[in-house]
Amino acid sequence: MSNASNGRSSQMGPLACILKADGTNCEVETAHALEQAGARAVIVPMNRLRAGEVRLADHDMLVVAGGFSYGDDVAAGKVMAVELMSFLADEMADFVAAGKPVLGICNGFQVLVRTGLLPFGELGTMSATLTENQSGRFECRWVTMAPESDTRADFLQGLPSRLEMPMAHREGRFWADDETMARLEAEGLIALRYVDSNDEPTDVYPANPNGALHAIAGVCDPTGRIVGLMPHPERFVEDVRHPAWHRRPATSEPDGLVFLRAFTALA
Amino acid sequence: MIHVVRVTSRTERDPAGEDVLAEIRRTLDLPAIDRVRTARVYRLEGVSRAEAEQLAERLLAETVDQRWTLDAPVITDAARVVEVAYLPGVMNPEAASILKAAGDLDVHPAAVDASYEYAFYPRDGAEIDAAAVEEVLARLLLNPSVEQVVTREPDTLRIAGETGATQRIAIRSMDADGLRALSAEGLYLDDDEMAAIQEYFVEIDREPTDLELEALAQTWSEHCVHKTFKRELRVDGRKLAPMMRRLKRTSEQYDDLILSAFVDNSGVMDFYDGWAVCGKVETHNSPSAIEPYGGAMTGSGGVFRDILGTGRGAKVVASTDMFCFAPPDLPAEEIPPGALPPDYLLRQVVAGVRDYGNRMGIPTNNGSVHFHPDFRAKPTVIVGAYGLLPSALAAMGEPRDGDRILALGGRTGRDGIHGATFSSVQMTADTKAVNSQAVQIGNAVEEKRLLDAVLACRDAGLIRAITDCGAGGFSSAVGEMAERIGCYVELERAPRKYAGLTPWEVFLSESQERMVLAVAPEDVQAVLTVCATYNVEATDIGYFEPTGRLHVAWHGETIADLTMHFLHDGLPERILQATSPQPREAVAEPEPPTEGAAWAAVAAAVMAHPNVCSKEPIVRQYDHTVQGSSVLPPYGGEEGDAPGDAAIMTPLHGRPYGLVISHGLHPALNLLDPYWGSVWAAAEALANLVAVGGNVREASLIDNFIWPVPEDEQLASLSLAVDACVDVMHAVKRPFISGKDSLSSTYRYPDGRILHIPPVLCVSVFGRIPDVRKTVSSALRAAGSRLILVGARDAAGLGGSAYLDVLGADEGAGRVPRVDLALLPLTLDRMHAAIRDGHVLSCHDISEGGLLACATEMGIGGDFGVALDLGPLTAKGETTEQALFAETAGVFLVELAADVDPTALFGAGGAGGAGGAGGAIADDGDASSVAVHDRGDVTNDAVGDHAVGDHSVGEGDDQKIATHVPWVDVGRTLDDEVLRVANEGELIFEVPLATLQAEWERPMRSVFH
Repeated sequence: MSNASNGRSSQMGPLACILKADGTNCEVETAHALEQAGARAVIVPMNRLRAGEVRLADHDMLVVAGGFSYGDDVAAGKVMAVELMSFLADEMADFVAAGKPVLGICNGFQVLVRTGLLPFGELGTMSATLTENQSGRFECRWVTMAPESDTRADFLQGLPSRLEMPMAHREGRFWADDETMARLEAEGLIALRYVDSNDEPTDVYPANPNGALHAIAGVCDPTGRIVGLMPHPERFVEDVRHPAWHRRPATSEPDGLVFLRAFTALA
Repeated sequence: MIHVVRVTSRTERDPAGEDVLAEIRRTLDLPAIDRVRTARVYRLEGVSRAEAEQLAERLLAETVDQRWTLDAPVITDAARVVEVAYLPGVMNPEAASILKAAGDLDVHPAAVDASYEYAFYPRDGAEIDAAAVEEVLARLLLNPSVEQVVTREPDTLRIAGETGATQRIAIRSMDADGLRALSAEGLYLDDDEMAAIQEYFVEIDREPTDLELEALAQTWSEHCVHKTFKRELRVDGRKLAPMMRRLKRTSEQYDDLILSAFVDNSGVMDFYDGWAVCGKVETHNSPSAIEPYGGAMTGSGGVFRDILGTGRGAKVVASTDMFCFAPPDLPAEEIPPGALPPDYLLRQVVAGVRDYGNRMGIPTNNGSVHFHPDFRAKPTVIVGAYGLLPSALAAMGEPRDGDRILALGGRTGRDGIHGATFSSVQMTADTKAVNSQAVQIGNAVEEKRLLDAVLACRDAGLIRAITDCGAGGFSSAVGEMAERIGCYVELERAPRKYAGLTPWEVFLSESQERMVLAVAPEDVQAVLTVCATYNVEATDIGYFEPTGRLHVAWHGETIADLTMHFLHDGLPERILQATSPQPREAVAEPEPPTEGAAWAAVAAAVMAHPNVCSKEPIVRQYDHTVQGSSVLPPYGGEEGDAPGDAAIMTPLHGRPYGLVISHGLHPALNLLDPYWGSVWAAAEALANLVAVGGNVREASLIDNFIWPVPEDEQLASLSLAVDACVDVMHAVKRPFISGKDSLSSTYRYPDGRILHIPPVLCVSVFGRIPDVRKTVSSALRAAGSRLILVGARDAAGLGGSAYLDVLGADEGAGRVPRVDLALLPLTLDRMHAAIRDGHVLSCHDISEGGLLACATEMGIGGDFGVALDLGPLTAKGETTEQALFAETAGVFLVELAADVDPTALFGAGGAGGAGGAGGAIADDGDASSVAVHDRGDVTNDAVGDHAVGDHSVGEGDDQKIATHVPWVDVGRTLDDEVLRVANEGELIFEVPLATLQAEWERPMRSVFH
């Protein structure tokens, strides 16, 4: 480990595989955050999985961490998705079939959408996309999300109605055709939406930072156990991360930690 | 056969096209263009049609929202379509990813390329002529240094070539003209240096190879050896110690907490719990002037590798960026020949820093942008980086006999040949054409792989020594690493991007994303295994041996054999001559406004001054939350619009320890007064650190001198800037531990006229605090608080201020503010203690825009109003404009709860707020300031003993002078979101904060719509 975050793993929690490809760059803080949330975390370079030195099946949960896998060349997460589909499709399918939870954060979300695992759990069939922000630019800012009340991702039930986290991406605009959008709504596959100061889902920038259709910040698959979101829960597991913490003392646990704790409980 | 896949969106939306259109609307008068669409173009060489289709379907296009064509146009309904691609030989970073993914799909192209098509649609009834497209290309889309318009299909994407042979140059018989001509071919060495080289080869009785000459020129280049800083000076005939010696000798006196200063790739200081932090700040001005996107990227990449190559390897935890440009609205006719428009430079430099830092996952959380018309020929682009490493690995490693030399990372290409020598010379209109090979496109993911692999090797204890391959390539990296031992390089083993490089090009190439490691022979296999895991190419290219020689071979044939002694110490001694600049003639200040509405208008104009205005549209493009370490972002508060004076972060997860990072620079002041402008920069950097809760006593400084070519007056002014740094060190008793000089801010017009780009001293500061909770932000916290102005002001010094600039004053108007170095340390200490002990609600330091901008920003950030009463200041003799707009650094505006007594925090300095005490302090300040300056001059007589400088604010001296910190009560915070300015209760003007905020945000929003 290049940082000092490890060595604090709880002895008991589920074992999280944090998948890392070239250009993944959020793995260290993701490991730290998952440990805070009660998991044990190991960072696994893609090549070790490809070589069979590490097996996905030996883990209880999979987290595809954020970053710029392979530079986001061609499209964000595309090259890593191709690699997963080419070499690890069977292992992924077995992992998911075993009911083990999968989380994609930011670039990890982009990867899962491009493998087809999100939103319909159909490995190999891409049915939605995360495309360029409407602003055309990379942006880093804090956003507020609300968990959907009737989402299949039922671990979100009981979470606060507003979740604040930072987003930092150039290609985070959730987009699908009308038919697919209707199906997502009907089947409860929308997990989180960007909301404005009145807690209403919004299309208006910057509360909706990328122009995502239906204000979608995160989705799940029909089992509710595969989840992806653009904002970064792992960047808000201590209250001093919030940009206004100097003014507003924390009254509850940081939202990122709440989210990751609930997700870890799935494993 | 090359197959071409073109991909475009199926939907109406095309943000890239809309961005181009918005730029056209903003900067060009081309109403005929109604819409722009873009397409990606992928060229695939050496694949079948079926394979190309497979790659299109599974990799290059996504049918969810895209459509594609094979070997046919994809946009067919536009009036005009142009394709912009990289020039052959410019490595496109995307190509490697495409090749990798194609391989994963079991398709193996011989070569690939990726480019963009732009399609232009006319307004109804209008026609887009070829000239319009040309204009869009020239102004917005195409940089001919690295890109071209594709007018016909290329025959091949492969770069072929025969490896050139090593040449021997008959130098021994050359006369002076011959040597001069040889130097002009790219060595850029002076007559003495060429003569020394000739003498060396006469002595060893053979002719040099091209590689030997190139290696000597690189090692002796200003960029690498910092001749100007190491040589003795004569200013107006008076002897002066070398500038580097002055800096180092002073630095050594204040080495508490310092683990490594001025020897490694960055300066290292102790952190906590067995960890150390390190910092390095670099410039990349010349490449950024030619190709701002690539130049800024490689600037970032280089400084990140400096951190990675510190000690036995450090993790990069933060990045900073400081830029100077001409104003974005500079009229086109004022742009010198060969220079790029400033708004284009600004956007491209921001994009380069953004794309490199974000992709590496390094938070960019501190920076600034400054504007002055004289940056029109060449911007100043400064990028910093900070790292974390175990203290036990903080010392620079030393290779041992038999250790292998491993080259890690990217392959070597023709890129960046002569970058080191190029960056050391002045620019002309032809610079772009001649030196385009000195620029390359950075590949951030390559460097991220490298960083991951190096840190894994470090943690496994596999690294004996490490350095980065930056300017000068292998020549510099291997040459420096082997300086105290010697080495044998089997150069033909170095992996190359393409055939056709001659050996000297391989040795000198500055291809990015490479590191050199010294590894014990028994550890080589372990390093190779780690590298394979991270997809990093690692190659054994030779070994260290105790010969004291740089020995380079190519397939067994010796192509260089120089003694390390001559290479590193053979540079001829020389004494530099300088002439003190003439004092500037006094220029009258313009008359101040006389009534309220005029004051309000000036206030709004100051907020919109480019050096004051909000830079949030830039900062939002940088990821400052990655690594999960940010405690104070660049723009925080409830609405994300409160500017932070410094970055605070916790590089060790789960621990409360803070790394605080700040900086200061003010080119306009440096231009007017190199000494006091430089003191201002340092004081501003220190004040920024303290304003958030940082502690100067546990901080280190970094210098960046970016100066015109140092001849005569420019050299004398540089020497004064160095004196300023020395005096600041003595004042605050903390050292500079890393630095960089870039002495080529000079532009020569085709007619021979010279433009001196404003000199810049950028001072960066980084330090530690034990608990990040004991910090504050600049956003006001409550209504009814007291606003206290803390610190010694030199209010009469309005020279170089934003206020004088918005009034249209001549540049030389007024006098540069003088920071009271005797009072500064106590002010910083008291401020730190007040924040640490929880007495301060919020705090912001005074800088460009003065008290007015400071109070306004605090109000904007906190959503509270401010009522200022200038009475206590005018009572001390300040005029209204001085009270509102003086920019003396080292002064703070502090929000205190109404029941907190400032006297308890800062002493009796401002008791009563009026008259006596304050006035006396101002006098003190003046007296001590002048004294410091005079003694600074005296040091000029003391060659080799710049320690004379340490009397400047000597022990005891400051103790006597600075017993209390001046402060005055200047106002209250309000619920009502207005800025109200009064003098002794009499209203001067009142403006809604929203009005000022709109002006403050407007300039950068218009550049980054």
